[in-house]
Amino acid sequence: MNDKDVSRSTPGAEAVALMYRRMAITRAIEICMAKHVRNNRFSGWWHPGEGQEAAGIGATAAMQQDDYLFYQGRGCSWAIGKGMAPAPILGDLLGKPSGATGGKGGGVPHWSDYSIGVMGEGATLGSVYPLAAGAALAARLRGTGQVALANFGDGTAARGTFHETMVHAAAWKLPLIYFCENNEWLVGTPLKQVSPTENIADYAAGYHIPGVIVDGQDALAVYQVTTEAIARARAGEGPTLIEAKVFRKHGHYAGDPQHYRASNYLDTYRDPLDLLGTHLGDDQAADLREQATADVQSAYEAALAEADPEPDTIFKDLYYG
Amino acid sequence: MADTNSVTYNAAMGQALVSAMRKDDSIFVLGQGVATGGWFGAEKGLADEFGTDRVIDSNISEAFEAGLAAGAAIAGMKPVINMGFGDFALIAGDEIFHKLAKWRYMHGLNVPMSAVVIFPIGTMNGAGPEHSSCTEVLGMHFPGLKVVVPSTAADAKGLMCAALREPNPVLFHSVNTLSFQRGDVPADDDYFVPIGKGCVRRAGTSATVLTYGSMVSPSLQAAEQLALEGIDLEVIDLRSLVPIDWPLVLESVRRTNRAMVVHEAMKTAGPGAEIAAHIQEQAFFDLESPVLRVAGKDVPLPQHGYLESLCIPSTAEIVAAARQLCLG
Repeated sequence: MNDKDVSRSTPGAEAVALMYRRMAITRAIEICMAKHVRNNRFSGWWHPGEGQEAAGIGATAAMQQDDYLFYQGRGCSWAIGKGMAPAPILGDLLGKPSGATGGKGGGVPHWSDYSIGVMGEGATLGSVYPLAAGAALAARLRGTGQVALANFGDGTAARGTFHETMVHAAAWKLPLIYFCENNEWLVGTPLKQVSPTENIADYAAGYHIPGVIVDGQDALAVYQVTTEAIARARAGEGPTLIEAKVFRKHGHYAGDPQHYRASNYLDTYRDPLDLLGTHLGDDQAADLREQATADVQSAYEAALAEADPEPDTIFKDLYYG
Repeated sequence: MADTNSVTYNAAMGQALVSAMRKDDSIFVLGQGVATGGWFGAEKGLADEFGTDRVIDSNISEAFEAGLAAGAAIAGMKPVINMGFGDFALIAGDEIFHKLAKWRYMHGLNVPMSAVVIFPIGTMNGAGPEHSSCTEVLGMHFPGLKVVVPSTAADAKGLMCAALREPNPVLFHSVNTLSFQRGDVPADDDYFVPIGKGCVRRAGTSATVLTYGSMVSPSLQAAEQLALEGIDLEVIDLRSLVPIDWPLVLESVRRTNRAMVVHEAMKTAGPGAEIAAHIQEQAFFDLESPVLRVAGKDVPLPQHGYLESLCIPSTAEIVAAARQLCLG
């Protein structure tokens, strides 16, 4: 890559501040949810994403509002990064009607907001590859210039539809981005035990597409590679496979005792919020965090105070019309 | 009587597709060999008119095809995919029964989501256990989908037209043995058979036969034979299995006081099990006899054509069951 490319994909100060604000909201929701689950007030499964926020925040910052996002189920950085507010996220996690799903939620996230390109999540993990390709094909047929991004974890790169979809997307040069968050763990199994390659990005060679590895704790680095991949996709040059090396700070689910991990595994952890914060003034970072924490707290309290969904919610949204 | 033409069942589906694609840019067709005419000819000529951008050949990768349809539907397109065989629904189980069926529900979205998934179903003289199944019951067990099975060329056109206007995903089961059978098909481009409406193919007073798809014709033949014995069967073609036209079914059963279900699909936990159970729940005291089922044997379908024929209901079996139903 030449210097011109680098400068093109470096966000301005305002954009960095927005990324930081959204990452701070994500972090505040993580802290809020950890407490909520610890207090046994939770009926679902929460898959904590604290410490893994940079990938979602960096990648979504590189997307246009109408680009299609299909995300995976850890944390909430992708939905917040794409522009969702804390209220529908927390409303959903607490199973309240103000949630994005209108009260059907509870842990495994199915937040969506089509108006900002948050198309949703498939809870059969790794199931969004062909869906994102379908959205990419829709953009191609309509000639809108939109791209679609399929976000997934390393544990689902072995899915059959990973291959089925990329074979077609690469052959047809669909505007599709595969974005892997590799946290090196499939629930409790280390990736190296079940993967023939060190990197998920190595698979790209077989499809004759670029495979890019990036430091997934560094939101600006993620922003940069995603910007490049999106530019390729919009130019009709086809898909890119991005692999962000991220860090799973917590267990697979809240409460996972993680007997399978070394006792000192946190020694190599680098906090993505602190990393991004070095690009902001100290006061600005502290102000944004404080504001984010206050916003999340008030959304949480509002959701807590809300009544549970009406029983007829179970029949809603089954058929249209 | 409106103008009709003699058209094959699959070509009639194609007529509905062509007419809808001319009016609606959001419709595209994808599957194995669809651009070259489709395995059974339903898509013949589509690529000539609409080009390979909208009539797209894929690899042999059913999960991808169905998942792509779901994603395109989420993005507001109207995909039509030909899955080749109903059996392949199971290869694409997650994409059809989770994503197409549940996406809006689990995300709490009150939005249209149109997709037509074509499943050619049923025996075709030796296609074997993985290319002959009647899988329509699967769609009945996953709410969020609509399920149709046309039995005539006219219905193939009319139900396809309805499916292409439907704001919900439709599993469209075309019947292999009917693919090249001709029928009088209305020439009207917009000929429309509403999803969820059955029809009386033969009015009668002795008993009600509830059937659809490949078994409509043998049921009508059985009714003609039995008419000679003084048994007057009413034959209802359900046409849709989701939703089922219960008012039509129950009105008939309450009048004839006897009912039997006939389908090619396997008996155990097949559509007939649901239909029979529903009838006894709703009309038990109107019945003079237990509801019978004439259905496929509970075995995988052998590839041997003769053995295969033993697995699916014959006209003689329908006749025998109707006699039992009416004469005890």
